[in-house]
Order: sequence, then C-alpha cells, then structure tokens
Amino acid sequence: MAAPAIERPLVERLEKIWATPPGFRGSLQSVDHKTIGIRYLVTSIVFLVIGGIEALLMRSQLMVSGEHMLSADTYNQMFSMHGVTMIFLYAAPVLSGFSNYIWPLMLGARDMAYPRLNALSYWTYLVSGIFLYTSLPLGAMPNAGWFDYVPYASRAYNPGLNIDFYALTVLILAVSTTVGSINFITTLFKTRAPGMSLNRLPIIVWGTLTASVANVFALPALSAAAIMLFLDRRYGTHFYDPSAGGHPLLWQHLFWMFGHPWVYIVVLPAMGIVSDALPTFCRRPLVGYTLVALATVTTAMIGFGVWLHHMFATGIPPLALAFFGGASIIITIPSAVAVFSWLATLWDGRPWYPAAMKFMLGFIALFVIGGVSGVMTAAVPFDWQVTDTYFVVAHLHYVLVGINVFPVIAGVYYWFPKFTGRLMNERLGTWNFWTMFIGANLVFFPMHIVGLLGMPRRIYTYPSGLGWDTYNAIETVGAFVFALGVLLFAINVLISRRRGEVAGPNPWDGPTLEWSTPSPPPPYNFAIIPVIGSRHPLWEDRLDEGSSRSILTRGPTLVDGRETFATTPLDAEPAAIMQMPEDTYVPLALAISIGIIAYGLLFSQLWLAALGAVATVVCAITWLWPNAETVRDGVASTEFGDLPVGRSGTHSVGYWGMVGVITTEASFFAYLLFGYFYLASQSSNPWPTEAPRPWLPLANTIILILSSVAVAWGERGIRLGRRTRLRIGYAVGIALGVLFLILQGVEYSREKISPTHDAYGSAFFTITGFHGAHVFVGLIMLCVVLVRAFKNHFSADRREAVTNVAIYWHFVDAVWLAVFTSLYITPYLR
Amino acid sequence: MSTRRARVAVVASAIVLAGCNGTSSYLDATGNAGRSEAILGQWLTAVACAVVVLVCLAIVWGIWRHRGEQNAPSSGKSGTERREIRSGLRWIYVGIAATLVVLLVTFGGTMVTLNAASHPPRVPRLEIDVTGHQWWWELRYQDRAHPDEGFVTANEIHLPIGIPVRVRLRSADVIHSFWLPQIAGKTDVIPGQINEMWVEAKQPGTTRGACGEYCGLQHAMMTLPVVAESPEHFAQWTAQRRAEAVAPMAAEAHAGQIVFSRTCGVCHAVQGTNALGRVGPDLTHFASRPSIGAGILRNTRANLMGWIVNAPAIKEGARMPAMPLDPADLNAVVAYLQTLR
Repeated sequence: MAAPAIERPLVERLEKIWATPPGFRGSLQSVDHKTIGIRYLVTSIVFLVIGGIEALLMRSQLMVSGEHMLSADTYNQMFSMHGVTMIFLYAAPVLSGFSNYIWPLMLGARDMAYPRLNALSYWTYLVSGIFLYTSLPLGAMPNAGWFDYVPYASRAYNPGLNIDFYALTVLILAVSTTVGSINFITTLFKTRAPGMSLNRLPIIVWGTLTASVANVFALPALSAAAIMLFLDRRYGTHFYDPSAGGHPLLWQHLFWMFGHPWVYIVVLPAMGIVSDALPTFCRRPLVGYTLVALATVTTAMIGFGVWLHHMFATGIPPLALAFFGGASIIITIPSAVAVFSWLATLWDGRPWYPAAMKFMLGFIALFVIGGVSGVMTAAVPFDWQVTDTYFVVAHLHYVLVGINVFPVIAGVYYWFPKFTGRLMNERLGTWNFWTMFIGANLVFFPMHIVGLLGMPRRIYTYPSGLGWDTYNAIETVGAFVFALGVLLFAINVLISRRRGEVAGPNPWDGPTLEWSTPSPPPPYNFAIIPVIGSRHPLWEDRLDEGSSRSILTRGPTLVDGRETFATTPLDAEPAAIMQMPEDTYVPLALAISIGIIAYGLLFSQLWLAALGAVATVVCAITWLWPNAETVRDGVASTEFGDLPVGRSGTHSVGYWGMVGVITTEASFFAYLLFGYFYLASQSSNPWPTEAPRPWLPLANTIILILSSVAVAWGERGIRLGRRTRLRIGYAVGIALGVLFLILQGVEYSREKISPTHDAYGSAFFTITGFHGAHVFVGLIMLCVVLVRAFKNHFSADRREAVTNVAIYWHFVDAVWLAVFTSLYITPYLR
Repeated sequence: MSTRRARVAVVASAIVLAGCNGTSSYLDATGNAGRSEAILGQWLTAVACAVVVLVCLAIVWGIWRHRGEQNAPSSGKSGTERREIRSGLRWIYVGIAATLVVLLVTFGGTMVTLNAASHPPRVPRLEIDVTGHQWWWELRYQDRAHPDEGFVTANEIHLPIGIPVRVRLRSADVIHSFWLPQIAGKTDVIPGQINEMWVEAKQPGTTRGACGEYCGLQHAMMTLPVVAESPEHFAQWTAQRRAEAVAPMAAEAHAGQIVFSRTCGVCHAVQGTNALGRVGPDLTHFASRPSIGAGILRNTRANLMGWIVNAPAIKEGARMPAMPLDPADLNAVVAYLQTLR
C-alpha cells in the first residue's frame, strides 16, 4: 500500500510544529523518539564493538596454552569489562533503541508518552558508559566479573577504584533503564492509535512491555545490592562482611534476583523482533499469536522464580534445589511455544530469504542450542559439574549471541529502510550472515566440549596436556571469523546509508503500521492519526481477520501544537488529547548532573557530589515547572466526540508514571528489607542484640499518618475546587513531615549503635536513612506544589501534580509502616 | 528408562564427546557421586543433541518444502492474492506435548540423581577440613576413630577407594569453589559459612582438581592433584604425612634449616621444627609434592630457586614476597626443602 496522499499545507504545518531545530544545538535538545532510537542503536553497537575487541584480546591469549600476552590482572579486567559492556551497555540498550524507534510507529502515536524522559534515558545511558570507560585511562577497570561477587569485590581484597566504577555505573544505568521502562509501560497503556487494542499489538511490543515491567521489579535488587556494596567499600558498613554479621551470599541473592529476570529482559524484545519480522518474510501471519504473547509474559513471570539456579553450588538444602531446578526446567515451555510458532510459520508460509530472514533462521538454530544447554544446567547435580566451566560460557553465548545479536542484526536489515529510506546491500548481507553464523558456531560450540573436559571459566591461562588446546585454537579462529562478520555488517550499514537502493514506504510488504509511513518517517510520524481495525492493518485486503478495516488516509490530524491522543488502556479508545513537550536541554543537563554526582562519589569529593545533587534538583524542578505555552485548558471536538485537552486523573500519563515510580521504589524497599531479614536468618548472634525502643518511632508513625490525612484532605479539596483547602492541607502535611524528620534525628542521636558497628547497624541506618531521604524528596515535591497552589496553578480539572504528589506521599507513609513493623515490631516477636 | 535406551544415550554422547580423556573430564567420572552425575550428563547430552538435530531438520525441511517458489513481493502476486490462512496451531500443540515428555523425564532423572548425590551410602569416618586461600588449598585430615592421627597438608589430596569421605569447606578470604571433577561436582567455599560435601573415589588414578569460582588474580592457578588409591596405599600415605620432619644430616641442608626457620618460618610450618607459621602452606612433606605454587610450576630444584627468589614474578599477585637471599643461603634452603619428603 502506498503512503496516503496528504495535503501540502497540513504537512508544512506539522513539520513546523514537530521538527527539531537544525544543527548541533538542536540535536542536543531533541526529544524525537526516532532520533533517540537511532542514538541508542548506534551507541550500543559501538559498545558491542568495544566489548568484542575485549573478547578478541582474551581469545588471543587463550589460543595456545601457557600464553602470557596479557597479565593476569589485565585479563581479569578484560573479562569483567567484556561482561559489563555486553550485558549492561549493549544487550539491553540496543533493544531499547529498536523499541524507541518502532513503538510509536507501530502503535500509531506521534511520540512516546514522555519524550523528555526518553531523552533523559538515553543521556544517562551515555553518561554511564562514559563513566565506566574513564576507568580505562585510570587503569582501574572493574576486575571482579560482571557478577562482581563479594568479598573479592569488597575493599579488603580489592582496594582500588575498580569496583567503585562498577557500583556507580550500575546505579547510573539503573536511572536510565528505570525511566525508560516506565516510559514504555505508560506509552503502551496511554498513547496508542484509536482501535489498537491489546490483542492487536505486535509481539515486539509485548516483548518490550514485559521486559519493562520486569525491569521495574528487578532492577531495584541490583541497585540495592550496589548501594550496599558502595557503602561497605567507602563508608565502613558490614552488609557483606561475615566478621561483623554480614553475609557474602546476600550479594548473590540480590544480584541474581535481578540477574535472571535481566536475561529475559535482554531476549524477550529480541524474540519479539523475530515474531514480527519472520511472518513478513513468510508472507503469512504468525502462527499462534495469542500463545506467543502469553508465552512472553509467562517467561518473565517464571523468570523471577529461578534466580537460585545460579547458586546451586553454594550449599543450599536439597528441597530448595529441587524446587528451583524444577522451575528452571519449566521455563523452557514458553520458549518452546515460540520456537514451534516460528517453525510452523515457516512451514505454512511462502518464505523468501533476504539477509534479515537468513539471520532469523540462523537465530532459531542458535536459540535451540542455547536452550537445550540451559536445560542441562538446570539439572542440579549436572550443574554442580558444569557450573563455572566453559560449558556455561558456551550456553550463555548461544543465548545472548543467538537470541540477542542475531535478531538485532536481522532487525537492522529489516528496519534499515525505515530508518534511512534505503535498503541494505543483499549480497554483502549474505556474506555477513554466513561469516557470523559460521564464526559464532566455531567460537562457541567447542566451548561446550572443552567445558565438559573440565576447563574452568575466568582463567587467564591454562597448561597443555589436558585435551583443551585444539578446541581453544578453533575457538580463537572462530572469534576472528565472527568479528569479520560484524565488520561486514558495519561496512554494509555505512555503504547502504548513502548508496543503498531507495526503499519506499514498505519494501518488504510488511503488515504492521510502521510500514504505512514514508521512509524515513517525518518528525510527526503520522500526518493523519490512523484508526486501527485489525492486527495486520496493511494486509487486510488479503486476510480474513474479521470485517473491520483500518483507516489510514483520512481522520484526525491534531495540528494545534504537539499533540497526540491519550487512549484507554485496554481497548485504545480516545480519552483525551495529550500535549507533548517541546525540545529541551533539561534532560541532557539532568544526565550530566547525575554524572557529576557519580564522579564526586568516586573520587570522594563530596562538594562535587553535592554540587551535582543541587543541579539535579534544580533540573528536576525546571523540568516539572509547567510551560505556560502548553497549558491550554478546554475541550476539543474531534472525530471521536469532544475530548478534554491535557486532562488529569487516571487519564493522565503523569498518573501512570507515578504508579511506575512507586512500584519500582516499593520493590527497592522490599529488597532492602529482604536483606535485613536474610542477614537476621543467617546471624548466629541475636539480631538485634538489643531490640530498639518503639515509643518514639510509634509517635513518628502517627505523625506521618496524620500528615497523609492532611494531604489527602487537601487533595480532595482541589477536586471540589477549593483552593484554600488545598493550601491548608498541604501546608499541614509539610509541617508534620518536617516534624517527622526532626524526631527521626532525635531517634538517631539516641541509638547506641552506629552504621559501622555491625551488619545490624548498617541495615538499620540504611533502611531508615533511605526512608528519610524519600520523606525529604516528598517534602520538596509538596513544597513545589504548595508554591504553585499559591500561584493558583490548580483547579478541579487541572490538578495532575497535586494528585501525583499526594500519591507519592501516601506511598512514603506506607513504606514507613513496613519499615516500622520490620525494624521495631519483629524484634519483639521472637 | 529402559536399559536399551540408556545404552543408546551413552553411545550417542560418546560419539559427541569422542576424545574426552583429559584429566578433568567429568563425563567419564570415577567417583561415586561423580558417576551418577555423569550418567545424568550423558542422558542430557544425548537428548540435547537429538533436539538440536530435530529442530535444524525442521528448519531445513521448512526451506525444502518451499523450494523453487517465487515469493518475494517484487516477483509477482503470490503474496498479495487473497487466500485461506491455516491457523497452524496444531504444530505448536504437538511440539509442546513432545517437549513436556522430555522435560518430565529430565526432571525425574534430576531428582533421582540429586537424591543419590546428596547423601553418602554410609556415615563417613574420614574427614577432611579444606580451607581455600588466595590462591592455594589447605587440607587437614582427621579420622574420627583415631582423633590424634590428624595431619595438615597443602595443594594435594589423596582419597582411599571405596571409602566415603566427608569434606568440610571453609574460606580464609574470598569465595572459592572446591572441585574434584571426576570424583564429585563443585561446592562453594564461602567465608562466614561452613559447607559440607562428601566424596568417594571408585577407581585408582591421578586427576586434576581446581578452584571453580573466580577468586581473583590467580584463580587460574589454584589447582591440586587428586590421587585416588587403594586403602592400603592410602594408609601408607597418611602414615608418612603424619610423621614429623626428620632433622637433615647433610651440612648444607642443616644450614638451610636454620635459614628457613629464621626467614621462611614466619609464614610456613614444618612439623617437628620451630618453623610454625600458619600464613602459607605447611611444608613438612614439601619435597614429595609434585608441584609448587598450587600447580604453576613442577617441583624441580631450578623452579624452586626461582620461586623462592621472586614468587610474584612467576605467579602475579602471589602473597609470598620475593626473598632476596644471598646465593649460599638460597642453595642451603633449597637443599633443606628437598629433604622434606
């Protein structure tokens, strides 16, 4: 189908509204999801190349036995950086790149729900990557593996800056990934084209949605673990120190509670790429769409229950081993659903084989090899042998190269014409595929065998005579063949970008909405917001999927500023008109501020960290302060009836974002409390030695509940239009919150123990301290709202900030109830 | 599972793993727990290979089915004409049913093996307390029937055939993992907790044990020879290891002992002398151990001299400092160490 003909004045008007200012300065301000998506893709592939060079150095060392080209120290930094780079800076961000670019085009929106948050997500990702690699010139790259087990990673055994770089990098990256995930979730539920109901979503959308929800719950585990690590290393706490009541396995539990869901986070969207692109080349819809969508969600859910399979050898009771072994075997089933779905699509389709399709078929083979070796490692007693050998290296590379890299390359070949308007070279593509496919199997398959022959992982050299030499030599050759394949890919991208064949809107005859836009799409994506009638809007002529038809060539245009529809979560019926923000420097400034905090903490320059923190708060307030131009009340009449413009309540995207923030923060506190109870359960001494007196905290609990009541009363007031009631309620809430913090300070001064006394003290002060910090942030937010209340910014219809801050404040209170119960009540229940 | 299928599985994996005779291959395991793990491993390997072959055949068949078709959008109408699309769901159902059967058998086998590997057939009398250090192993043998017959050694382990042995694992510093590939799977060595495992060797022979968990700079060089021998030979070995060092006769070695006690004895112990250090490996029977530095060098005179003079130059990061002894003292210490059999 050709792109719909659109009147020229409309195009010019939209162009003026949506275009990013030209030049370098414009590019720093851009919030266009397509620009951000391409930035994500390019940056993450640069990191893929850097991580690949590290891998080539390691493979060169291991090519022959007894080689000492790299020192033990350098080798250990190399494998640590290879893991951190590939897993954190390549595998997840590259998928964010696709999703950022493709989502609004697939969903029929003009941008993501939070364009500025999207820019922030990218800039913080970039800052975290730059931050990590400043360790290179300092010669202090992380050296304890991407898994970073304590106590080797603790200060006693690792005194340099190496591990501090690691801890701070994952914390910066957590900001990026969390805001990105919340953005995806809100975008999905709020900004789809009318008619794009949940059962019509492309599978990559299901994949990224599932991964984003998993992120919101899983990432706080890593953040909590990294914060404890940094506190242990720099401020003398004892979370992981067995000589003072801590326990090294606490790190492993938290790390793998994050780490295993993360595996699915970096493969589910990639599997989604295949589930969407493979049917295009098979010229029929995906077999078993509903099953595959359900399997995607199920995988992530089971993925939260298998973390212990990374710890089978840590001395865990047999019953727990049986349970987690069973769960790890069961998780195969949803993956099998996807594999059989792709096979059935191939068998029943009318396939043809451009490079993208070749990569996807190769992917299926690699996926299955990685899958079955995964089942083997799930068999607990066998895992006691293979764990930490090259067999696991083989397994995880078949999984990550097979299920992430191959679909990514396939995805680039598939969407490159959409990104650039030009096709990639097919002849080069064929060479690209075969070098990468043969290379991958040459490097990774012998690792299975050498692993079964007993070669441990993470060894910088090995003696001859153990039967390992030949396989290692083959692997090294394979690694260079694979690298040649990546080089061919890069060459193809660079050549085709300028000289590729002009593609037109839909060169593959694809079924989904992104192919209805021009290639490359204009800044506003859709001049006419489409109305969706089926799962395959561009194949409706030839499929019998019900009688409804999508409308792409006439309909709403929304030309009064940057606007798109906010739709209902399930059925995607238009509920409001959303006003989208203009381009801005603030996300970049905020990301730089976060980077300044990190450098301040790294070099123990607290003035610098404080400067960064102040800059962060200033940026955040600038960000949230309403722009007078975009505040436009009222009702607009559209094809879908009269719709409110920028409405609050559950229709607003702000509400959804706040729910996302609260969910991830609640998870963070849950992991902190898990740490508290885990250490209590492992402690041989009474925990705590002396239970803290509950009376002052009980009073504080009542104060905080009263402040919540006051805020709720004020918020209720503005719903009824009573501005004075809002002011009184919030002012009282702020006063009570300040009183809480003062009393908390009194409580601290009366404590006999300190954070550095033992692990109990560390946990007590860290948990209450983080809660206190949340109270402080909540107070800043309440104060901002109060100032705006005195400026009469709010009314019964326009009270988004009031409601969201109230929700946050109630959440902070709810956390306190959990903290109070855990720290002050449970010690008396023994 | 029938014996016939089991045999097929074993043969299939034997083909895949032809040539796996290295000294740490665990699919031809000789230990009790190791052997049941190996059988499970062989079954898993066979199933895995079968699944991969079947799926690859399915891909090839899918391509073969459509050979000669002109399906590209540019090639004509084939894709754009209206046609019936089959749901294809039955392929998924059949595939999932087959997968479930295989997984259930795998799970059953896992549970049976887990049960067999978790408990020794009888209560072990012999106990070894193993302590992991960066980057060497300390082993303390104890016989519950003869409590006074314990002894300490380092970087070597001997096991009596047919007798279960309890191993208790402690760490002196970071996390290690104790792995005797052909005898039993890994158990982590974690500071702050004492893990236990049991082992029972079934066939005589020497294999290579290693640290399984990354533990820092020299994780690669933290190995120990594992000698499985008949109970008689084992008894001889323990008797010899229990003996204290004999004072050397030769003058040079005697002089070496004096230098050793003064300089090396701060960290190293030689039982029966006044060298009582506990920081480094016990050297009472050093000369009868096959290697130096937990597997980095063969135990020869030349290697030993180089090691004493500058151990960190040979094993980067080694805790043993360079010992700038003058040539006479160095020769004397080496002569002394070579008497410690």
